[in-house]
Amino acid sequence: MQIATMTIDEIRVGIREQKFTAQEVVKALFQRIKKVEPEIGGYITLCEEDALQQAIIVDEKIKAGEKLGKLAGVPVAVKDNICTDGIRTTCASKMLEDFIPPYDATVVKKLKAEDAIIIGKTNMDEFAMGSSNENSAFKIVKNPWDTKRVPGGSSGGSAAVVAAGMAPLSLGSDTGGSIRQPAAFCGVVGLKPTYGLVSRFGLIAFASSLDQIGPLTRTVKDCALSLEVLQGNDPMDGTSVKEVKTKSYLDGLEEGVKGYKIGIPKGFLQKGLNEEIAKAIEDSIEKFKELGAIVEEIDLPITDAELSAYYIISSAEASSNLARFDGVRYGYRTEDFQKLDELMEKTRTEAFGGEVKRRIMLGTYALSSGYYDAYYNKAQKLREKIRQQYQEIFKTYDLIITPTTPSLPFLCGEKVNDPMEMYLGDIYTININLAKLPALSMPCGFSKEGLPIGIQLIGGEYTEDKILKAAFALEEELKLSTIIPEGKEEI
Amino acid sequence: MKINVEEVQHIAKLAKLRFTNEEAEKMAKEFDSILGHFQSMEEVPLEDTKTSSKEEIKTVLRKDEAVIFEDKAKLFRNVKQMRDGYIQVPKIIE
Repeated sequence: MQIATMTIDEIRVGIREQKFTAQEVVKALFQRIKKVEPEIGGYITLCEEDALQQAIIVDEKIKAGEKLGKLAGVPVAVKDNICTDGIRTTCASKMLEDFIPPYDATVVKKLKAEDAIIIGKTNMDEFAMGSSNENSAFKIVKNPWDTKRVPGGSSGGSAAVVAAGMAPLSLGSDTGGSIRQPAAFCGVVGLKPTYGLVSRFGLIAFASSLDQIGPLTRTVKDCALSLEVLQGNDPMDGTSVKEVKTKSYLDGLEEGVKGYKIGIPKGFLQKGLNEEIAKAIEDSIEKFKELGAIVEEIDLPITDAELSAYYIISSAEASSNLARFDGVRYGYRTEDFQKLDELMEKTRTEAFGGEVKRRIMLGTYALSSGYYDAYYNKAQKLREKIRQQYQEIFKTYDLIITPTTPSLPFLCGEKVNDPMEMYLGDIYTININLAKLPALSMPCGFSKEGLPIGIQLIGGEYTEDKILKAAFALEEELKLSTIIPEGKEEI
Repeated sequence: MKINVEEVQHIAKLAKLRFTNEEAEKMAKEFDSILGHFQSMEEVPLEDTKTSSKEEIKTVLRKDEAVIFEDKAKLFRNVKQMRDGYIQVPKIIE
């Protein structure tokens, strides 16, 4: 069994048709993990025994002829900021190093209800803050395409384990690009759904008005299949969607893009965009034209002001959300303290990493007396303006296309000492969170050095079906998605 | 400098964090570059833009209904100390 290159669809069909068992799938996958993981560092926790137990249950269901869930026997890796009942959930932070949630996040419940098998928790930037995965308190993740390079972040582990054939499906979270940017860097498909389509219950909050959970997979079809399972209203998440009917994203996936109106922001080829990325995006745009889409330039400036608004709002929300970690009830607690302030200050100072502290400080500053109007209020206004801009465009257009990232995967350590330089890498992804829209990143080519390039397909609210149809059509044209890093093909 | 060490220390106090003066100096420098970048917002005319309007939001509150949490032991999984069936926390009132 070539588990490393298998898609979700191949695994679930194979198990259903009894070509192999769920136990064989899990065993083969853990063999693969044992071989590759030491080099990649994509997992924080592995649950081999639990996974095997789950596989036995699936196999028994098949023997007994019971009804199977949509993802029966499919191994899933879950980002370590998504709560899993009985499995340590650390947020890659010393603060939650020993935290074992008493409940499953809604998305985890949904996966289990469809007989998926949780195999482990993936590495990430601490509390999902970062774009390189170098902010994990435990270990860095390496890009499977070139282990000297970063896998992107903050869902770097989730992207790397899919790219390296250590899971056919992983969950990530995306606050400003944290699913799409690592998907682009690792050459996999990553979707940030519309804000509200997927429940956030059980996702440890970074910036609640921007956070959204989504899948990372090897193919667009796998992405569609996973979204079908993950989506839907949840009474436990007050911001989850109420009125949108549950869609089947597999229905009509092959319909193509004939007649689609696609907008290309005039400014996207601005200075700073890597030439090889620009070329790959232009080639993909040509493909869409050949497939019958109508492509037009649109007026949609992608500016530094938007990036500022994003960092102000996300940091402000983070400073508030992370106030709960005070050493009183759970999580890390400092050893020596006399008074309450000392307990909190020492606990937080000892257990949070540098980037988390920087964001808390930035957020506290932006919300503090005298600066609120200059920063937070202005950022909120800008956010509304951005949202209106996109709404206007999606009255006429079906999709917007941009690169996912301005640069190729960079070297480990290259940007770690310059936070502003790191933040600038999020220029194409942050707007989408501010506007609450869905967007997908998929591989659209490779650089001369063999590094993956990601293209971003953006849609209007709740038009994931359109995005997936277009992505599927492009994938069929490009035939890139099953290629995995050299030297890692054989178990 | 847009922000000095004393201001960094004041914000740290509000955020319940501690920094050595050396760390605070480094953070002041980093803030300088980040806050400098935030100036870019000044170039966007926003006088006519309101912050997001309430009627756009479609979500509604659910009924607040009590649900029994079946496995009580799980709730105490992350507790550091228990005493007589209660969770013991550090003294928080002076």
